[in-house]
Amino acid sequence: MERTKVNVAVGLFLVLGILALAYLSIRLGKVSFLGGAGYLVSADFPSVGGLKAGSSVEIAGVQVGRVESIGLADYQARVMLRLDRNVKLQDDSIASIKTKGLIGEKYIRISPGGSEKLIPPNGRIREVEAPVDLEELISKYIFGKV
Amino acid sequence: MIGLRRCALALLMVVVFAHHAWAGSPSDQLRAQIERVVRTVEDADLKKDGKAKERRTAVRRIADDIFDFNETAKRSLARHWLQRTPAERKEFVDLFANLLERSYISKIELYNGERIAYLGETVEGDQATVRTKLLTKQGTEIPIEYKMLRTPNDRWLVYDVVIEGVSLVANYRTQFNKIIQTSSYQELVKKMKTKQAEFLDEQRRTSDRS
Repeated sequence: MERTKVNVAVGLFLVLGILALAYLSIRLGKVSFLGGAGYLVSADFPSVGGLKAGSSVEIAGVQVGRVESIGLADYQARVMLRLDRNVKLQDDSIASIKTKGLIGEKYIRISPGGSEKLIPPNGRIREVEAPVDLEELISKYIFGKV
Repeated sequence: MIGLRRCALALLMVVVFAHHAWAGSPSDQLRAQIERVVRTVEDADLKKDGKAKERRTAVRRIADDIFDFNETAKRSLARHWLQRTPAERKEFVDLFANLLERSYISKIELYNGERIAYLGETVEGDQATVRTKLLTKQGTEIPIEYKMLRTPNDRWLVYDVVIEGVSLVANYRTQFNKIIQTSSYQELVKKMKTKQAEFLDEQRRTSDRS
């Protein structure tokens, strides 16, 4: 009898431990379950240069979502963004890929627009700005002057 | 009876298609307008020193045919546009058009036989993007994208220009937002008005001198 009690306690403890571990790995890994919270919008960029799935999406420096996935569509980069449900984007919002600091990581900055129309879930942000490629710009001004 | 109806339908189709052919694709319309600008800037008669003002007015008139200043101003002011009264909006569009004229028409006047290549267009409903490239004499290529919007009478007007991946609307949106957030909309209008007055003053002085 005593033995079974100990066994049950150990078993419960183990299950609890596994649950805690699962919770931790989901939180730290930023895995979204069952489609996650919020809604999806897409944006097509000529190039995403350094942006990754999981990069943050910001408005005025405040994180409002994450990059869900990046794929190729018609030789352009199609970025899926998952945004918080209470964040509404106007039809003419602009998504730009920016760099944190001079050589920091890439993130998406959205500047809200002034249109009365909103982008619905699974809609598309039409106005985009690709990251400025510093190397390309430099090479242009080095090799440009022939 | 059926024959008559078919005839009318055919006639209608001809009218519709003829209308389309006249309107042309966004690229064609843009190309025609840009060629007008180039012709004006290269006009030997207007190139003379004393004619600076005439040349500028001529370019501005064509710019009014190319740009939808109302849409550009609206998108640049973004959220703050919704809070403006119709009168304020009209005033702002004028000020904004003048700002663009000050900043860019002087640049257009530097045009010196650069070639413009039209790389293609994508049309999606009432919006279109025309990709072009400016080839300078030094051999550098500057990618320029025109974002256009269809008007009810099938004309395409530009509302944003993206040069080297940097959007004009995004640039002004950030600046206007910063000014309005740190001071007020009235302050922004005041600033734009003083800049325009300064510019007119300077123009008057240079034309007096010449």
